[in-house]
Amino acid sequence: MPQIEILQIFQGLATLVASDPLIIFARIALIALGIAFVYLGAKGTLEPLIMIPMGVGMSSVNAAVLFLSPTVMGTLFIDPMASDPAKLMDVLQIDFLQPIYTFTFSNGLIACLVFMGIGVITDVGYMLISPFRSMFIALAAELGTLLTFPIAVAMGLTYKEAASIAMVGGADGPMVLFTSLMLAKDIFVPITIVAYLYLSLTYAGYPYLIRLLIPKHLRGVKMDLKAVPATTKAEKMTFSVIVCTLLCLLFPVAAPLFMSFFLGIIIRESGVTQFIDFIGGPVLYGSTFFLGLMLGVLCEAGTILNPKVLMLLVLGMTALLLSGIGGIIGGYIVYWTSGRSYNPVIGIAGVSCVPTTAKVAQKEARDANKFAVILPWAMGANICGVITSAIIAAIYVTLLR
Amino acid sequence: MESFWGSVNLMLFVYALAAVVSFAVAWIIKLIFAGIRLQGTLSGARAEAKAKSASEPGNAPLERKA
Repeated sequence: MPQIEILQIFQGLATLVASDPLIIFARIALIALGIAFVYLGAKGTLEPLIMIPMGVGMSSVNAAVLFLSPTVMGTLFIDPMASDPAKLMDVLQIDFLQPIYTFTFSNGLIACLVFMGIGVITDVGYMLISPFRSMFIALAAELGTLLTFPIAVAMGLTYKEAASIAMVGGADGPMVLFTSLMLAKDIFVPITIVAYLYLSLTYAGYPYLIRLLIPKHLRGVKMDLKAVPATTKAEKMTFSVIVCTLLCLLFPVAAPLFMSFFLGIIIRESGVTQFIDFIGGPVLYGSTFFLGLMLGVLCEAGTILNPKVLMLLVLGMTALLLSGIGGIIGGYIVYWTSGRSYNPVIGIAGVSCVPTTAKVAQKEARDANKFAVILPWAMGANICGVITSAIIAAIYVTLLR
Repeated sequence: MESFWGSVNLMLFVYALAAVVSFAVAWIIKLIFAGIRLQGTLSGARAEAKAKSASEPGNAPLERKA
């Protein structure tokens, strides 16, 4: 009988013991964080659709490190660093999540599928109520995206890294993923994780910002529901086709995102229920599930231990906070210029986390005045926010790539 | 390290360009809806005029006599 070392049978523990103290600490901390994400997701504090698969992935991948050879440690989940074609072919046949990473994640397909799903659940009719005001609010709500860029550069990040983390201010997960994949592939994992972590906190955090910056009597300003125009499917489809073509013409580098989003809208308006059900259901939720799972398994201690992570955490928070403040300032400006007939809470919906921020705005308005209905305007600002975020992402990628 | 002031300039340029394109999109929305509404109004007026001219005695369609 060969000599048996008990610890070598339990390789997750053996690799833990054989690692550097920093890696040991990081693996244990990430396992605990993954379990916390599952708990907070199930409880509803964080976004469950992302956080549950992400938490399970994070805790599993950090527990399941084994000796691939006597000197090399790794997992059978994924190898994000494999780029050499021969090595990649090997890894594709061994690591069970590698095909999903290589063929949907690293080329941005999964971000586009999520965007297509968002398009299917988005009614662009809301944009037509007052497009200029909605667009103005959306631009104001990009304050975080813009100011975080020079702040990040001052903190030592390159232009490409700074633009990627600044996109967190746009509060659009697929957009952050797309931009960081295009501009800062080395740190796209921590950037995307920071983005999704904070985005799932907006639902809990923004109400406090609204209550802090807008007094109750202004939060309860009623809007005139008669001003909401009835729009036809033909009008919405015409708009979507023209704007999609124009934006693809102006920014070919972000054409996959634009096309996916507007295709979703066009499918919704076309009324082809088979496509609507398919894209709004299995595609959207399947992509979101795998996005969360991939983000989780990419959080392996060896990959995530980057001195820039702490900086990214601070910058991501700054970007979202500034965007929220910018949106509210935009809401105030429209309130004053419209003869005080516009509810300034709508400003927060300019932050394009569809439809979370619009729902937050409506909830805060209703809490202040149970007759205040602002959801149509908030959704308009929300959709304009998606478009302005995509435009800013496209400009950054075009200029810096 | 890349230039801080360079990043400020770039930020202002990106914001200005994004504002121009965003408001252009808002204009497109306005134009499309103005165009579609105008077309609707015109076709409505045309149909009304047609109906009106058909109802006037001198403009009644000729009936074939057997």
